[in-house]
Amino acid sequence: MPTYELALMLRTMPKPELKSTLKRVATAVFDRGGIIRNIENLGFRAMPYKTSAHGLVHREANYFLFKIDSPTQAVVDLKEEYSRDVDIVRQRVFKVTDSDQHSCTLEAELLPPAYRKEVQKMIEIGKTQVNRFTYKFKYNSGLDYYPFQK
Amino acid sequence: MSIFKTFLTRHILAPSYRCLSSSIRLASTAAVTDTSDEPVEIENPFQKEKKQCILCKLNITPDYKNYRLLSQFQSPYTGRIYGRHITGLCNTKQAEVEREIRKAQNCAFMPYYYKDKSFFKDPKLFDPENPIRSHRF
Repeated sequence: MPTYELALMLRTMPKPELKSTLKRVATAVFDRGGIIRNIENLGFRAMPYKTSAHGLVHREANYFLFKIDSPTQAVVDLKEEYSRDVDIVRQRVFKVTDSDQHSCTLEAELLPPAYRKEVQKMIEIGKTQVNRFTYKFKYNSGLDYYPFQK
Repeated sequence: MSIFKTFLTRHILAPSYRCLSSSIRLASTAAVTDTSDEPVEIENPFQKEKKQCILCKLNITPDYKNYRLLSQFQSPYTGRIYGRHITGLCNTKQAEVEREIRKAQNCAFMPYYYKDKSFFKDPKLFDPENPIRSHRF
């Protein structure tokens, strides 16, 4: 089961209600055979832009972050269920990818164009193409007239 | 008798002389060879340090939850994501930063059209007025 991050924005509400909403969100994951690795409360704060959800305009939200392992097919179901939940203002699911090590290529990128790999590749490709600035139509084509507009 | 003597010296003793002399020469060269004086293989002392972008140097992976870091790559006036010619990041990190900013904006962690004013006094990682490469703006 791949790991997903579920970013939830819940509407403004008192604590007991918030608790029951979180419980509902969690059981929805468990019902589909998923597990919860971690729950983070990112706090109650003003949203950077107002959001309308379920007929209400929200300017503040409770931000929560669930780290879940769930079957891939269940994710669509989960999103659909959360979209119907009136307490959830906004929800996003991202797949967690472990970052692979890479070495910085900045030095190669700062070289003059002629020394850069990508530019050299472009020049090689350019050599195989017809240069339309220097290309001249050859009249020995077998036609007794010039086929293009002069 | 004298003829016999010369024959003996030339044909029988001569090779042994040669042997002797060669062995002496070998011994003398061994005595002269002293490796402490020879040039030593060292790496180029004038080699410049490898240029690295700031995120690679500090080994930071941009994350959409860390919107305070991401907001440093955003214009305070328009919320536009600064390009590579301004941020001075390598291709990979720039792409990562842009992707994570998009995610953060989509998650309502970060605004689209302005920068959170509580982050205005954050340290500047680069100067947008002096891009490292010329551009058309």
